[in-house]
Amino acid sequence: MTAMVFQVAIGGLLMGLIYALVAAGLSLIFGLMDIVNFAHGELMMLAMFAAFVIWQYAGLDPLMMLPIVAILLFGLGVLIYRGLIARALSVNFNRGMVQIFVTFGLAIFIRGAAQFVFGGEFKSINTGWLAGRTAEIAGVYLPLPQVAASFVCLAAFAGLLLISRTEFGRALEATREDRDAVALIGIDRDHIFALGWGLGAATVGVAGVMLAGFYYVAPNVGANFALIAYVTVALGGFGSLLGALVAGVLIGEVEAITAAVLEPSLKQVGVFGIYMIVLMVRPRGLFGKL
Amino acid sequence: MKRIVTSLLAAAAAVVVHGQARAADDVVIGAVYPLTGNGAAVGLDAKAVLEVGQDLLNNKHDAIPMLMGKGGGLAHLGGAHIRIVFADSQNDPQKARAEAERLITQEHAVAIIGSYTSATAATISQVTERYEVPYMSADNSSPSLNQRGLKWFFRTSPHDEMFTAAMFQFFKDIGAKTGHPVKSVALFYEDSIFGSDSSAVQRKLAGAAGINVAADIKYRASSPSLSAEAQRLKAADADVIMPSSYTSDAILILRAMNEIGYKPKAVMAQAAGFQEQGFLTGAGPLAEGVMSRSSFALDATKSRPAIPAVNAVYKAKNNKDLNDNTSREFTALMVLADAVDRAGSAKPDDIRKALIATNVPGNQTIMPWAGIKFDETGQNTEGTPVVQQVTNGTYHTIWPFDLAVQETVWGVGK
Repeated sequence: MTAMVFQVAIGGLLMGLIYALVAAGLSLIFGLMDIVNFAHGELMMLAMFAAFVIWQYAGLDPLMMLPIVAILLFGLGVLIYRGLIARALSVNFNRGMVQIFVTFGLAIFIRGAAQFVFGGEFKSINTGWLAGRTAEIAGVYLPLPQVAASFVCLAAFAGLLLISRTEFGRALEATREDRDAVALIGIDRDHIFALGWGLGAATVGVAGVMLAGFYYVAPNVGANFALIAYVTVALGGFGSLLGALVAGVLIGEVEAITAAVLEPSLKQVGVFGIYMIVLMVRPRGLFGKL
Repeated sequence: MKRIVTSLLAAAAAVVVHGQARAADDVVIGAVYPLTGNGAAVGLDAKAVLEVGQDLLNNKHDAIPMLMGKGGGLAHLGGAHIRIVFADSQNDPQKARAEAERLITQEHAVAIIGSYTSATAATISQVTERYEVPYMSADNSSPSLNQRGLKWFFRTSPHDEMFTAAMFQFFKDIGAKTGHPVKSVALFYEDSIFGSDSSAVQRKLAGAAGINVAADIKYRASSPSLSAEAQRLKAADADVIMPSSYTSDAILILRAMNEIGYKPKAVMAQAAGFQEQGFLTGAGPLAEGVMSRSSFALDATKSRPAIPAVNAVYKAKNNKDLNDNTSREFTALMVLADAVDRAGSAKPDDIRKALIATNVPGNQTIMPWAGIKFDETGQNTEGTPVVQQVTNGTYHTIWPFDLAVQETVWGVGK
């Protein structure tokens, strides 16, 4: 019985950390420039396909290709900002709508493009140092690919916190506070935004690679995670890294416990139930600053 | 100048007239499948196999020993061609409804074929009923679909009640044969019409057979994680786990069971995702020993001589073997084309009458069925399923014993 309780709790924790990292990139971009990136799940999906392609042609282990995919996604994030978002920000009418539809359209485009290039078939990375391995401690099983993913998630969070302490991090923070005033002290707003997008995309890229190690890869895989990421960000507080971490783990646990105690088909009810309660008691989210 | 314009107009008119003449020859059949979204893998395979069927019907080729296997168009319609127009349901019942309506009103489809998921079939068949064109259900398996008093609904495939009856018959037969009886089952099903219908029949038949339902787990389709669900299956540890799942969930649940160190004694799947190549590669060695009902047996070439020929053409086009879904889609198209041909008319009403009179012996198809004959609800009563088991990454027929190519093995995963 205790083993089962631990097993459920660990399952929730391992999944929750993935949710948290997916949400971190979303939260970063939102906090920086008040744009909800509706293509966030699709960026993760692209990272997963990148991991799959590298695995298939170079046979690299997901852990090894982490930096490669992170850099690829960073570049893609910068490109998306320069090519689309910067332009959407500069329109003078209906700006809010344009910003919503530009990332929404991008999401549909990326999904369609992925299906065109890779086909609709489900793919998986079947070999690797950890693939399919588990460790048993006193009747509780730990799936090693997910444990590795959790450590990478925590490391990524630590990395993001470190970045926020650097000069670039302070410039990010300043741009977030007042995007017009920073120009007066010589900070290039466009440059900061582009790097912010790069960082956000790289973060979800890291999550995607680790997920690809134990999940299936398909053009629609991002959508399942994106919905949870939006809830995580709102629950943790927009723009708060710590909020994303705590909310991600909380959602993972609530989901696992609802599925274990109540009916599994109701697990999203548990998640959204908590979300509504937080929304009523504390509308800015658990760690929101606004 | 004037002359040039006139001759251009004349040429354009000629093209239009010619185009119309061509269109009048063709018999248009609409096909609604999920070509994008989470059912796209299955939908795109369906498109490929229906195109293969269309080519075999229209083009001249060596005769294949099956219904409509001669090629060269519809003989009783002056060699008219079948032209399939595809529409994308995105696996969304409302989009499926709109697309079916468009196919009938804009593309002048005289029949609709579809649609993989039962939820989309439910809406499509309402549209076809309203417009009075036949809906040929190729691969929808919910038993409730033909129980709605529809006049224009036809289903060549067995439904989940027939499939499930076969599974329980298999449990009984294998118990008698090997002395390894099935005493308990765990039901595991997704939360749409497919899962709830399938599990309802399984619950009923388990009760009738005196088999204990050790767990009854309804889960949310396309959940990011199924680890808590796997935990419940482990706690129940039934003799057989009976999942009704689509591909992504099928991969995830086998992985989730492995992650918590659970090796099920047996898995008997309601096909769907479990019969997909994506599942077999995705689950890899974990899928070894998984059993699934199937309406198709690729290895039944002795009694169904058309299988190798059709499979070769399909494999050349799509680089895959025929499976449970594609074989049924192909068969439904052939039955529909045969009805149009026998009707000698492209009027929906004539096609419906011909469909009602359909009587095809099993060896004239690529299916292991007894035959194809519709009852008053439009259901084929002679679609007898088989049970298959995964060994070395592919499905092999293990029941009925006279069609079996290997012995049943207990235990799942390597």
